[in-house]
Amino acid sequence: MAINLASKKILVVEDQAIMRETIKHILGSFGARFIVEAESGINAITAMRIDKFDIVLCDYNLLRGKNGQQVLEEARHLKLLPVNAIFIMVTCEQSLEMVLSAIDNKPDDYLIKPFNRLQLLNRIERCYSRKTYLTSVENEIDSGNLYKAIYNCEKLLQLDDKKMRMQLLKMYAELALKVGNFKKAEETYQDILHERELPWARLGLGVVAFFLGYYDQAIKTFQDLIEQYPMMLEAYDWLVKTHESMGNDEHAVSSLNSAVTLSPMSILRQKKLALLADKTENLPVAKKAYTATIKLGKNSIHRSSADYAGLANVYLKSNAANEALKILYELNQQFHNDPEAKLRASLLEAEIHQTKGNSALAEQAYGKTVKLNEQFNKQISRELRLEMAKAFYLNGDNETCDEILNDLVRTNIDDKSFIKDIVTLCDAIIGESYAESLIQHIKKELVDINNKGVSLFQEGNIKGALTVFEQAIAKMPSNQTVLLNLIKIIIHDLKTSKTNPEKIISAQAYINKAVQIGIPHNQIGGLQAELDTIQNKSNQ
Amino acid sequence: MSNTHMLSIGFPAILASSVHDIKNSLTALRALVGQLENIYQDPKPTEFRQLEFETNRMNNSLMQLLTLYKIDLSQFSLSVDEHSAADILEDIVAQQSTLLSLGNVQLITECHGDLFCYCDSAMISNALCTLVNNAQRYCKSKVLISASEEDDYIVFCIEDDGKGYPENLMSPDYKQLHQVDLATGNTGLGLFFTETIAQLHVKDDKHGFIVTDNNSQFGGARFKLYLP
Repeated sequence: MAINLASKKILVVEDQAIMRETIKHILGSFGARFIVEAESGINAITAMRIDKFDIVLCDYNLLRGKNGQQVLEEARHLKLLPVNAIFIMVTCEQSLEMVLSAIDNKPDDYLIKPFNRLQLLNRIERCYSRKTYLTSVENEIDSGNLYKAIYNCEKLLQLDDKKMRMQLLKMYAELALKVGNFKKAEETYQDILHERELPWARLGLGVVAFFLGYYDQAIKTFQDLIEQYPMMLEAYDWLVKTHESMGNDEHAVSSLNSAVTLSPMSILRQKKLALLADKTENLPVAKKAYTATIKLGKNSIHRSSADYAGLANVYLKSNAANEALKILYELNQQFHNDPEAKLRASLLEAEIHQTKGNSALAEQAYGKTVKLNEQFNKQISRELRLEMAKAFYLNGDNETCDEILNDLVRTNIDDKSFIKDIVTLCDAIIGESYAESLIQHIKKELVDINNKGVSLFQEGNIKGALTVFEQAIAKMPSNQTVLLNLIKIIIHDLKTSKTNPEKIISAQAYINKAVQIGIPHNQIGGLQAELDTIQNKSNQ
Repeated sequence: MSNTHMLSIGFPAILASSVHDIKNSLTALRALVGQLENIYQDPKPTEFRQLEFETNRMNNSLMQLLTLYKIDLSQFSLSVDEHSAADILEDIVAQQSTLLSLGNVQLITECHGDLFCYCDSAMISNALCTLVNNAQRYCKSKVLISASEEDDYIVFCIEDDGKGYPENLMSPDYKQLHQVDLATGNTGLGLFFTETIAQLHVKDDKHGFIVTDNNSQFGGARFKLYLP
């Protein structure tokens, strides 16, 4: 297949002028007319803000500032790359691919230096034809319609294109995992393994075991894979996740530590290691990982004030209050207009001065915290809000503490691990029964809302029921029960009244949201099927 | 300061960054040669062919050096997936394309479009590239690369019409890296590397392996890589 480069917008990101020149020359000889060059990551991002590129060739090792991986992450995060664009990472070494895989964003393909004109063209063509072939699936994934993506995958599989078959099966299994259809995912992986022992399919089986709660089996699968493929970092990541889910944080830290040794440049792994080590009071490891995270964060969208606060806190815990203050100073320097950063800094400052026995300064810092909190409480992350609740309680402001905890429990009632964090905190500082009764209270409130909505529905007052659930979902956007009831009522409404395209769109949006927050396939799959039937009828 | 302290960042890191630096220079060098070449009208001086050959060789050797070192440290794993054999051959031809356009060697490929193999395609094409590169150097006018199925193996075969392998490269034991023959520059590293990578490809109890002989249909050397 010959790709027509004349109609393509191409971005070349490369710090060496001579290489840019050569690549441009090659592309030009294949008819490319629209080529933009960038010699740094920042310029690449700016270029992508101005133009929507079809092809990005990006060197991994850019001399200053962001590296290629950080460019890719930022471009995807800011949605600067069209769904069907191809991003090819140019590297010096084959093994980089593995070291960067899994936790991080993956490019569409890698191209290893040095390459000649035919190698470059081959890579672009192959990548392009694969991307074109998968368009119908990737477009649906991009808009969150995972069930439609699965359906399109099945349709492509029926065409039986041998070259694309494995690629499709892999996507198919991953999509099945995403919507929580574990049976389908398991079948697919088993079928592949029956043909051939492929590491990614074996890993997939481990992931299925993890989601089904067969933790021992999952651990064995991941450990076997690591033994056989010592550089398979995805296996490490899942192993860590499994240890964590089993409440075995020490094992998680040790596995993650091995993964970080193999891929020291992966900021998300460093960050995770810092948090886990901090949690298990492994202060030396936490210190090292926070420091690495901060350093890697300098050019990354994953940069966060939380890493600075974390490091300062580790210093504080290791009786190095002055070091902690230094980090806070840096935090304030690095994050000028970030309310969350300011809050973190003042919160810790109060604690540090308290520790140093300087109550006047501590009071002053606390005062600043209270003021910032009034301004920004709803905008900051839930983890920080939880810390704020603790600070208020310890300073005798029970009312504000209650208010925050109430809201946190209400909006996160389905998130078991975060609720666990809340309970742990409350048990430690307020008292054993506090969190328990708060949770019971909120659950009762929810039951009341649901009952009210359901009884309105049973009385035939569909509109009233919809209003109740819509109001509830506005307040608690991630509540599974409310969301499911809302979807059920909309679908019922669609079935019994005249078809209304707007309502179909709204139902699909709620289903996508449900999939995204992790409502499993056995609860949402049926509703999606019903909606599909309605949609097919309305199209006829 | 002791010597051990100087190496505290570890030899693997030093090796990796040296390879990285050299590869960068090599890439720049090739780009420069390419620009120089554009100045000349056809027929271009044959020195360009030699330059392309040498840089290919340096590049392949570096990759092999780094890979073998990592295997030795158990810091290497294959990245096995299903690949079309035709794609792998296409990659090899692409890598050799500049060299071919300059010389009078004919590179022929033979492969069925529906032939698939399970392998680490980057490693396999790197290994085969070195050997094809060598075949081009020692052949008279023709190199054939083909892929086919033989029993339960996929076989990649490289044949030429040259004088054939010297005695020391036809030993059945490629695991032994032979004494470097400084006169011919023939180290057998390419074969050793290919054998090592082949061995890592496993299905059930079958391992990959290589065979060299002088039974080419064109009368020269014949190399065969078997992958389970």
